Order: sequence, then C-alpha cells, then structure tokens
Amino acid sequence: MLTGSKTTFKVRQMVPDMKERMLSQSGLNARSRDMFGLRCLPGECVLQRAVLVRKKLTAREGGGWLAGTLFCTHFRVAFVPQDIPKPDDNADPVLLGDHDVALASIEKVVAVGPSRTKLVTPNSSLKFTPEELVLYCRDLRVICFLFDRLTPETQAIEITYTIAKTYQPLKPGTVLSFQNAALGSVEMKQFLSNRRKDTHMNWFESAADWEQELERCGAAGWRVSSVNDRFEMATSLPRFNVVPQKVLDTELKKTFAHFNEGRIPRWCWRHPRGSDLLRMASFQNNIYHEKDDIRNLELILFGGLSLCVVVELGEEMPSPADIQLAHSRLRALCLGDLSTSVSVPDDKWLSTLESTHWLDYTRCCLRKAAEVACLLRSGHLTVALQEAEDRDMSCVVSSLVQVMCDPHCRTQLGFQGLVQKEWVMAGHRFYNRVNYHRDNDKEEAPVFLLFLDCVWQLWSQYPSRFQLTEDFLLALHDSVHLPLFSTFLANCQRERCKRTQHLSQSYTPVNGWRDVLPRGSSPDPSDPTLPPVWDWALQYSGQRQARFTQPIPPPPSIKPLLNGNLNTNPDAHRLSDTTPVSVFLLSRGAFSCPANLLPWRSSSSGVYKKSHRRAPSSENVQALERLLKAWALTEYPHALTSNCGPQGPLDPYEPLLPLLLGPCVGVWRECYLRGALHAQAFSHPISSNHLHPVEQLAWEVQQLRDKLALASSKTDANPPAKRAEPRRTDTNLNQNTNNGTFLFPASRPQGLGVTRAAPPPTSINHQTSRGAPPSSAPQSRPSHKDNGGSNKHTFLFGHPSATEARPDQRYYPAPNNTKLPKSNGPSIGS
Amino acid sequence: MLSLGSGGGKSAKPSFVSYVTPEEINSEKDTPKEEKHPDLLPGEVVFCSASTVLKLTQDELSQRGTFGTLLCTNFRVSFISDEETGEETAPLFKNKLYGENDIPLSCVDNIYGGYEDKRKLVTGSQVKNKYPSKIIIHCKDLRVFQFALTFCKEEDAKRIFQGIVHHCLEPKSLKNIFAFSFCENTAFPEMQMQQRTMMFDSAEDWAQDLKRTKGSCRLVTENANFGLSPNLPQYFIVPESVSEADMTLFQGKGLPIWCWSHHSGCALFKTSNLPLQQEDNVPQSYMEKMLTAVAHNYLYSVKTEDLSDTLPTVQDIQLSYSKFKQFFFIDSTTDFWVSDMKWFSSLDNCGWLDIIRQCLQKAMEVVECLEKENNNVLIMEDGGSDLCCVISSLAQLMLDSYYRTLQGFQSLVQKEWVAGGHNFLDRCNQLHLKDKENVSPVFLLFLECVWQLLQQYGPAFQFSETYLTVLSDSIHVPVFSTFLFNSQHHRASILRADSSHSQRGTLNCPTVWDWSVQFDCKAQQLFINPLYAEKPKLDKSMRRPHRPKHQRQLSLPSATFKTPPKKGFFKDETDSLKKILRVKRISRWMLSPDSPQPSSTSREFYEAWQRKPLDYHGLLLPCLDGPAVRIWMQRYLRWIQEVQIFGGGLVTVLSKVSDLLDEVQELQRQLDRHSSSLTSNHQRPRPRPISAETDSRLSVLLSSSFPFTTLKNNWSYKPAIPTGLLQSLMNSGNLADTEDDDQESLVRA
Repeated sequence: MLTGSKTTFKVRQMVPDMKERMLSQSGLNARSRDMFGLRCLPGECVLQRAVLVRKKLTAREGGGWLAGTLFCTHFRVAFVPQDIPKPDDNADPVLLGDHDVALASIEKVVAVGPSRTKLVTPNSSLKFTPEELVLYCRDLRVICFLFDRLTPETQAIEITYTIAKTYQPLKPGTVLSFQNAALGSVEMKQFLSNRRKDTHMNWFESAADWEQELERCGAAGWRVSSVNDRFEMATSLPRFNVVPQKVLDTELKKTFAHFNEGRIPRWCWRHPRGSDLLRMASFQNNIYHEKDDIRNLELILFGGLSLCVVVELGEEMPSPADIQLAHSRLRALCLGDLSTSVSVPDDKWLSTLESTHWLDYTRCCLRKAAEVACLLRSGHLTVALQEAEDRDMSCVVSSLVQVMCDPHCRTQLGFQGLVQKEWVMAGHRFYNRVNYHRDNDKEEAPVFLLFLDCVWQLWSQYPSRFQLTEDFLLALHDSVHLPLFSTFLANCQRERCKRTQHLSQSYTPVNGWRDVLPRGSSPDPSDPTLPPVWDWALQYSGQRQARFTQPIPPPPSIKPLLNGNLNTNPDAHRLSDTTPVSVFLLSRGAFSCPANLLPWRSSSSGVYKKSHRRAPSSENVQALERLLKAWALTEYPHALTSNCGPQGPLDPYEPLLPLLLGPCVGVWRECYLRGALHAQAFSHPISSNHLHPVEQLAWEVQQLRDKLALASSKTDANPPAKRAEPRRTDTNLNQNTNNGTFLFPASRPQGLGVTRAAPPPTSINHQTSRGAPPSSAPQSRPSHKDNGGSNKHTFLFGHPSATEARPDQRYYPAPNNTKLPKSNGPSIGS
Repeated sequence: MLSLGSGGGKSAKPSFVSYVTPEEINSEKDTPKEEKHPDLLPGEVVFCSASTVLKLTQDELSQRGTFGTLLCTNFRVSFISDEETGEETAPLFKNKLYGENDIPLSCVDNIYGGYEDKRKLVTGSQVKNKYPSKIIIHCKDLRVFQFALTFCKEEDAKRIFQGIVHHCLEPKSLKNIFAFSFCENTAFPEMQMQQRTMMFDSAEDWAQDLKRTKGSCRLVTENANFGLSPNLPQYFIVPESVSEADMTLFQGKGLPIWCWSHHSGCALFKTSNLPLQQEDNVPQSYMEKMLTAVAHNYLYSVKTEDLSDTLPTVQDIQLSYSKFKQFFFIDSTTDFWVSDMKWFSSLDNCGWLDIIRQCLQKAMEVVECLEKENNNVLIMEDGGSDLCCVISSLAQLMLDSYYRTLQGFQSLVQKEWVAGGHNFLDRCNQLHLKDKENVSPVFLLFLECVWQLLQQYGPAFQFSETYLTVLSDSIHVPVFSTFLFNSQHHRASILRADSSHSQRGTLNCPTVWDWSVQFDCKAQQLFINPLYAEKPKLDKSMRRPHRPKHQRQLSLPSATFKTPPKKGFFKDETDSLKKILRVKRISRWMLSPDSPQPSSTSREFYEAWQRKPLDYHGLLLPCLDGPAVRIWMQRYLRWIQEVQIFGGGLVTVLSKVSDLLDEVQELQRQLDRHSSSLTSNHQRPRPRPISAETDSRLSVLLSSSFPFTTLKNNWSYKPAIPTGLLQSLMNSGNLADTEDDDQESLVRA
C-alpha cells in the first residue's frame, strides 16, 4: 500500500477501516504495539510513513538535524529517530514522544519544493515533490522535516497529503474524533482510569484539599463550606469554598443571590502577614438587602479583619476581546504571514511589536498584581478582587499575586496547585476561551496564555527564584492547545464532574456522592476519559520532565505567624454589627471610598447606613496610606535584622515585584519565536564536540567530587583529617552555609561537597524524585528540608537564552548530569 | 518618597542653612574646605569649588539630596558629600581614577541650566553674571547629575558654574588634557598585561600577526619615522607587489592595507578613497595597479566595497546616536514613565539599532566573501579609518576566535583602530571643539556591534559585557593615550614635541589596556566571562593544514558574473579590467531594483552556516532579525533605578557561575592540601576562611546592573509599583470622595 502510482496524487477519502487495512495490523494483536519502529498507542493506526527524513531540532532539543522516520497516524505526526533504543513494550503508553506533534495542534501544513512553497490543504493538490515539510502549530511551534533525496517521492507526497488531510482544521467534531483516536481504545481507557493522581500536589477537589491549603497558609478564621456541593448555589463555583468561620452555611446560602452568578467572595490565599486575598463577582444591585444579609455579606467580605480593599479589575484590564486581538497580531508578527511570506521589516519589528499591545497587556496584569501584592504585604486587611464575572482577569491577577508572594507557587507542584485553585476550580472558561471546537470565536481569548506570559516575565527577571523553569511554562503553554485534558476541556467544575460522574458516580441524597464501580463498558463510547494535564508522563519523557524544574532551595515554611488576629491591636477583633469597618476601592492606582462601593451601604439602604455613619472617611484613607508608607520606608531594615534562620538577606515572602518599563518587558522568545525564522539565532545547533562551559563545569565538579570521595575514604581511618573533607561534617555544613555563594540568598548550604554527597543512587531516580517528593514540598519542616533540598542545588542557574545549551540525547552530559552527576556516597539528608 | 537614598541629610540641612549666615558658612568652610578635597590624582589641580551644594537625587518630586562641596579640577567635576558615607562600604567595583560622584571633564556631554521650572542648554561662555539655580550635567556614560546652587553663596555659585562651563565646554588644546599633567607626575610601572596585548607599534607585532594568520604579504617598515607618509601607520602590511614608489604617490591614500588573512589564503584589505579627478588618469591607473596587487594576493579575485556609499555616514551615526541616548538621560523618574509609552516605536525611529544591524550585515557580507567565496576583499571609505575599522574588526571577530579572547580583542582594537589611525581625538571630541562636524561615536558603534555578538553567542567570548561597558566608559577618561590621538603620526609628533621641552624623556602615558590604573584585581575579575568556552587543547593539532593553492583553483568564482552598473569608485574603469580582476561589488542593495531582495543571498549564507553545529571557536554570524538586535541594557540602563531588578536578572546567573568556578578552585586547593597533608602529617591548616570577596558579593544584593550600582546600606527596597499607586498616596489629601463624606457629615450634623 505504501507504493502509490506517481501520477495519481489525489487524496483518497480514508475511512477508518480502510486506514486500518493500510498500514496497521495493530489494534487487534494489541500487545505488540510496535509498527515500523513506531510504538503506537492501543488502537492507533499508522496511516503513512516516510523514511530517511530529517527533523530540524531547536536549541532546546540540542539543535542540528536528526535523521529518522516520519509517521502520520490517526492522532499524531510521529518522528522516530534512528538509533534510539527499542522501546520497552511493557512501558506505559505515551501519548506523544519527544519529537511528535499531535494532529490537533497543527494549524498549517506547508510543503517546500525546489522553487516554491505551498500551503497544503485537504483539497489542494501538489504539483511538485516536497523537499521540506513545515508544520505550523497552534502553539507557535514550527516543525520542519526535511526529506532526503533517497526518500521515495511517493512517500514524501503521500505523507504530506495524509497530514494535510487528517489534521482537519476547524471542523466541528474533529476534537471528539481526535480524542477518540488518542484515548478512545478500551486499553487506553483502562490505562487512564488506573492512573493515579499525583498526590504531592494539591488538586483542590475535596474539602480536605482546601483545608490543607488553609493550614499551609496559616489562615485561621476560615472554613471550608460544602454548601455548593451540588452546584446548586452557584453553578460555576467549585463544590467547596472557603468562607469565614463565623458564617454558617444557612446564612451563607442567602448571600449567593447578591452576586453575579452567585460567585460570592471566596478566600484564595493568605499572605504571611495576615492579609487575605478574596475574589468575587460584581454585586447584584437590584436586590433588597436585609439586615441579616448585610451582616453576613460584611462578614464574608471582611473575614476577621476591619479593613477591606476592593480591587476593581474591570476598567483598566484588557477585555478578553482585546487579548484575543493582541494575541493574533502577535502570532502574525512572530510567524509571519504564511500565505504571502511577507514579514515585518527588521527595522520596524519593535514598532510592530508595540502595536500588538500584547506587552501592554502583560504589563497591565503584572502591574495590577504588583499593586495587590503590595497591599497584601501591608498586612491585616482583606483584598477582594472584583470582576463582573470573576472568571478571567481575577484568575490572572489572583494567581499572579500568589506567584509573586508565595515561593511555594514558584515550584512546579505549587504552581500546578495554583492553577488548579485559581483557574480550574474557580471556573475559568477554558473550554470557551481556547475554543477547541472552533465554534465559539466570540468567546475565544487566550487569557491563560497571557497569564503564562506574565509568569514568564517574572521568571525572566528573577530566574533564580523559581523552581519551575521556562521548559515547564512552555510545556503548559503547548498543552493548552491539545484538546485532550480534562483540565482545559470544561468551563467549570460542574461540567467536569458531569462528564466523569455520569460514568462512575451517582448521587444519592442520603450519602452524598459516592463512587460506584466503573461499569465495564462505559455508556458513551464516544466519550473517553480525559486525563488531567498534570499527568506529564503522558506527554513528556522523563528526561524532558526533568527540565521542568531547577534546583533551588525550598521555601522555608511559613512560620507560625503572629499575624492576623493575634498580632494586631485588639481593635482588629471588633467585628460586629455596630463597629465600623472600612472599605476602600483601589482603582486606577488610587484609593477611594465611593459611597456606593458596597451596594448595601449606599444611600438606598438607609437603615443600615445609620449604624455605619462613622465608617468610611478620608481619615481612614490616610490611615491606609500611612500604613503603606510606613511599610515602604521601614520594611527593609527590619528584614535585614531578621535575616537569621534559613532566610537570607531577602525575605522569601517579599513579593517579587516585576519591573515593567519598556526595556524590562520582553518577548517570550523561546515561546513565540522558537519556530519562526526570526529565531534563527536562538536555535543554533550547539556543537557536540565542544562542551558547553556549564557542562564543563559540571564535569569538573564531578571530577572533584570523585577525588574528594577518594580522599575521604582514605581519611576515614584518620579522624583528625576528617575536617578537611567538606562533605560530611557539620562544621563543613556550616562553612557551606556561610560560603553560601549563590544566587539564592535564602538558600542554605549549597556547597558542592554537600550537594555532591547527597544524591540518591541514580540520577534518574533523582530526577523523578525531585519534582515529586513531599519531603521537598515547602510545607514540611525546614530543618530537614534544608538538607534534603540541598541535594538539588548543584547548579542553580536558569538557562538564559543567550547561553542556552540544551543537550539532546546525542550529547552525553545530559542535563541530569548538569544538575546532578552520578552520586557516590551516602545521602547526608537522610 | 520614591527614592529614599539619603533620608537623613534632608531633614537636617535646611535648618542648618537657615541658622547660619553666609559669612559663617564661609568662615566655617575655609578650613574644612581643604579637607573636603578629594584624593587628588597626581597632577590634578582644583580650579574652583563651592560648598553647600545640594546634589539632588534623580527623583524630581522629592527635591531630596545630599549637601556637599562641588569642585572643578583639571580632571573632573567632583562632588564631595558632607555626609560621612561609610568608607567601610567600599564598592567592589570602584574606579581608582574617579568615584561615583565624579565626572571626568571630557565625559560631560551636555550641561543644562535649570531656571525655576525651565531647563536651558548651556552652550558656552554666554553666561557672565547669571547662573542657574540648578546645574544639570548629562554625562557621556549616561549618568545624570543635578546640583542645586540655591543654598550656596552667590559668588561661589557663579564661580563654580562658570568654571564648570568653561572647563567642560570651551575648546582647549591637547596639551591641557589631563593625561599630560597626570603622566608627568606619575610613574607607571610597565604594564604587565601589555606583554600579551599586542600594541602594533612595532614591526614584530605586525610580523607576528601576519604569521599567525599565515598571510603572504609584505611588511613595510620604511614608515617607522613617517618618512613615507604621515597618513600611514608606522608599520603596515601591503600586498607583495606594491612597490615603495606606489606608497608615496598619494600619501598613502588608495594604498591597500592588509587587515587579516583567511586560512584559505585570501585576505581582507582596507584603503581610503583617492580623490576623484576625472580629467586626470593617474588615480585610475594607480587604483588599477593597486587592485591588481590585491588580486595577486590570491587567485586573482577581489571584491571591493565602498563603505561610504552603502553605510550611514559618520554624521548619520552621530545624529542617530544623539537621538538614541536621549532615552536614557533621565532627569526625573516621571520623564521615564512618559517615554515608556512609546518605548519600542521610538527605538525604531531613532534608527540606532538599525545602524548596528547594517554594520553587522555588512561585516557578514565581507565574511561571506572571505569564507565562502574565498575572494580577497578590499573595503574602502573616504577617510579609511572609520567604518573601515568597524567592518574590518567585526569581520575579524566573526572569523577568528583569537580576537574573541580578552587579549585578542585588545590587540584587535590596537591593530585596527589605534594603529589603523582612527581619529579618536576628533571623533570623541576630547578637546571640546565647537565644531562638531567630526564628532561621531564610531568606536562606540563598534562596541555595540560586538555586544550584539556577545549576547547572541556568550560562551564564544572570553570577555564579559561589563568589560565592554567599562571600555566604552574609558573613552571619556582623559588619561589614556589610546583615545587621545588621531593617528600614530599625530601621537608621535605630540609626544616628540612634548619630550623636547620636558626633561623627562617621552611621555609615559598608560594605555587603556592597563586596567590596573582604573581597577583592582578583584574588579578586573568581572571582565572575564565565566561562561567562556575555552578552546579545547587538541584543537591545535587537528587544525587543518594550509591547503596548497592549486587545489583551490577549483573554487574559482564563475566567470559569468556580470558587474553591476555603476556607482562608486570604479565608474570609469574599463570593463576589461573588471573582467580580468573579476572585481565584484559586494553590496547587493545597490543593484538594480529588480534584483533579488537585498540580503537574501547573505541570508542563504547565514542559514547554511546555521545548519552546521555551532563551534564557539569557529565562524560566528550574528542574527540580525528584528527581535535579535537588542539594547545594550547594561550600558544604557545601569544608572536608572527604575529598571534595575533587585536580586534578579542575568547577572545573578553569571555571578553564580563564577562563584561556582571559584568554589571549584577552592575545593581543588583543599583537595591538594588535603592530599599533601595526608602524606606529611595530620596537622592541617584550618579550612580557609571564606574569602571576603565572595562574602561581600553575597551581602550585596545583586541588581541587574550589578557591577555599576550596588545596593548597600542605603538601598531601599522600593516597591516597584509602577503606576501612580504610590504617587497617588503622596498627593493623597484631595480625594474626590472626601467631599462626599463631608457632605454626609454635614447632613448628619
């Protein structure tokens, strides 16, 4: 079947059974999933293949060209390099190999011939033999395959057609068939249902998860309410919401009506200084406020504190439509116009970039988040983010605030939890915003991508303060475009639950939700179970996952804080009907207290006003300002004196405030420009003959370690000599502390000796354990953690683009070596 | 509020002023005035001074500042703070010649007088009796100083203002430049670095470089005393077949000077244009002869390129740069916010980045000719010492990894710029001449281009960004002989004249490469790029031997090439000559408009190069796409607090790597000690205490402009809330809603 007559290049309509007959005999004899060297998913059919193809590697992959075989299957365009070890047949199925592209992320297929370039569509015909096949992806990757002279012409042509035919852009229904192609097989469903959720991250799905978060943040006075357990109160809210302890569920029920879509103020996060971050939708103004309602509303809004700042996100922030427009302009700028191959002249590139406004919007989000972070930092107030629907910019701002302020959120697991909390559970309309079905163009807006860009801006300014890396952000960025993950395929938790629960759960009024045994045959075969995006092993090999994190010292746990209610003057406790509590509006960078800020306090509700006549005043505005000023003036010296303990000179809970001036905000090159022609300089292949200096350094350190190990084994018989061996003794630990060298002021011992001594037996193990273990999760005890964490501090730098070296597999000292050469010696941390 | 630099001084000072009469200040001042002098350098003389000058911080809103004494010496404008800023916090990166509050006279770019709320450019001596309340000095290294004279005595203020204006803006003779009095009074030890930096002031250096590149040209020593021509360097290298008579014919104009030889045998030459005399045939025939000579060097092929036609002129460069630098002169933070809105488009509009791109592009084309087509290249220009220097040095940097080492780079600058006769004195306007026609930051442009290469291929360079920044600053420190002369002849004649009436023999001026004059060892460490990929040792043995010439006949350029019609020098040449010589023009955008896109062919070259694995010790080609050419953040933004990232930026990464390197060495040392003591006895020295250096580096929170601004005690962790949040806090009182409250209270009352 592979040979086709050269003259008839018309694309045949391939019906599935025909396809199966074509190349794959797989599906049935399921155990051998290996076809022509491609390890297929269960039920995956190879539609076409081309041999002797070379793939252009990006800098991240090591650069250069990689020879291998190109496949097109139902589900992906797969590339299998030559001379890779034969995959283990019993290993877990992997959706996408390191060199694969899912069909769903392809946006355009372009064939490059000897003298011309053609956009290949399902209906077009090729009049030349392509030499190069370029896939433009929706995630802004550009993947380039080069056919060899020896590639059979028919193969080159057929695979081009097949890909163009199969990826089927913009057709309704393709998403589902795509999902089925990938996950629809019985085996795959079984595999997915057996898959365990990563228990080291917080999924925010159960009440216990929220309680864990409350504990982690040290937030007292709040409780998890399950009043929305059946999504009756607010369909878009999660089942569990955190509200003040003093509000009973019965009281709570009445408050939902006062907010748009019932999105009442919910607790998100507590700053270590005792401020709480809340988010809510806009008020429903046409509702009469009873006195009881008012009390509860105020209680919810103020938590236990007496000062509340409402941050209005509507006006200054870009609308989803703005974001969508900016993003499409940015795409056009970065990828060029494919049809005309006209790109912006170099000397106008920056102006064009400016006119996309994309950077303005990132700036705007970061600025708002920085303001909120500073507010929170001043302590003892609640900051309530208010947006009309509370489902877009609130997500961006509240999660950015936490990334800035909470080191935990700068770790991979912490960040994943954050996205779960502020996006997935909070009901960001992923499904509509990403517009997988292409049927909802009005709603489409890459709000989440804007958020990732913001995080990247922070990361690029403070590379050494993040445990997660650019690779992780990129992986997340790319996954958004893949309609496979339950994380992104629903608009709120209710939709997600519906999807899964009609399969496996039923509701009985007495016991609440309970699991029923999954029925052997799921009721709807066209509806495969979807994995969460955080199951990275489905998409990324261990080697690439290892690059998601870089070793940094784990954030010290939040101390049992003398904050909030404990620390303040007794006045802070008075919260009752009669005491005035003040509320301010932060808008356009200024504070005010408009009378109608809280509708129940405005003039219409005269009854209430009486009791609050002393409440808001300019005095209080000034008090707030004084508070902030005092903080700005005195904070640092205070931090200086308190740098005992594991904190360095910089308090880890100081917000990372981004600089937002023109020169400081940049394009996320590795994302937007990685495939584009513009990015050539950044994708230059690194010679495999020469070690990158960092690799050399790693090698050198390894050598030294070996020598030291050798020397110390000699001296073990010599107690007095032991001191000079910098890896075992406590004195040397301390020395390393002082020596503390590195970027991470908050870090403790990163001395090489310690570092080197500690790693567990194999680097692979270490790689996997790095991301995962609860022992390195920030909330565990600091004393142990420092040792445990120090295992990982070998190289603490990020990878700046200019000096980037991403070794590919040809490249012997792979990043695991960089980060952690082979260990020899007992672990000091354990 | 935004800047909390010197909070203590502000509250104290105004009261001081109000209680003490001017006379008292004066009498009080006279005695301490002597003490207030800075540590004067040898040969430095104070011209005038004024006390109780308020040096304002950059923040316009607060009018905060430090009181102190402002002096003007024959070297610098110096401000000495009255406050005892702790001496113990000596910055790690301290310039020995001038401090952070000193401005070398030739570093002054512009002086503005601040009158009430207006600002006026001070152009010269028109001010006799009036003086502004504020002096604003813009420096060529992008610093901005504001001195308020309102608190000091009137005649002091007048004197210091006129003094500064006079010494900074009025033309002076070369003899008055500080270097001369400085060097007369200082004995510099022979610099150590010099041994490795080739100065190209001797025949040996040239011979060595020729040998290193395996060039086959002739070293000319006859001009050692400038007997042939004052326009030519003391020593230079020409094609073999150029006779001595040829050299003298046009005082060195039109003479192809060898720059560098490619390992294939072709070479890069540069020359200055002959004056065009249409009726006379002499220049044409002379030029033909020279071209033949160049062509004879290798394979009878030569490409010529007239840079005057294809690159911006020296004046364009100056114009563009003066627009560009305005973005970075920040008098007040608010200015910056205003400019920020249109940041990217205004960058594009001033064209500076595009000039950089053009230069790199041109250098790439030269490289392509040498590397791919193996043609000799002759670049020419009217003067032969501006863009020729830029292009030839850039081409060499791209081609030859030796020049990417620290010493190699310094040698390159010596060879192409100092010995090559770049008019440093005129271009940098060291004499403050009113006639600005010749002024142009050509050397800075070169450094900018190098920086672009550096940021794209960091590990290929042994020197760091900081090195380049410091070098660009040093141009305006009038101490170094490197930047003081227009040519070697100029230098020789000045020094000879000088030595004739001073009894001290020839003047012993340090070159800029003697970094110990400016920085101590620790600071010099920062010049080294910790990520430099050292050349592997075995590379030398594997180096390809010089291929014999006959093999290369195969790569003859095709004879079908058609010379483009026109332009430039060879207008009147006969076609036959061109055919014989296979002279091609490099520049593609001068072809007829229907020719393919200007850079498409060099694009191909670039892309072909790109597919090969990158070798940091081989050819490097810069990427010139829109987003790839960037702003030299460190140089331009280092003084602007608003864009400094505390505890962030690339610096942290680099410094981390270098710390790591230190630690590796330290461990190595320990290991050595360890093993040696193992054999001797068990009494070992205590582990070395942590070096103060790393310690201090740690204690300083690195900011993204690290070596230049360190944040010590006085750093304020300023929340970088970039909106008006804080501003609105400052002018808080008048919130609109307070009215509402008032009304409310009225009602209630």
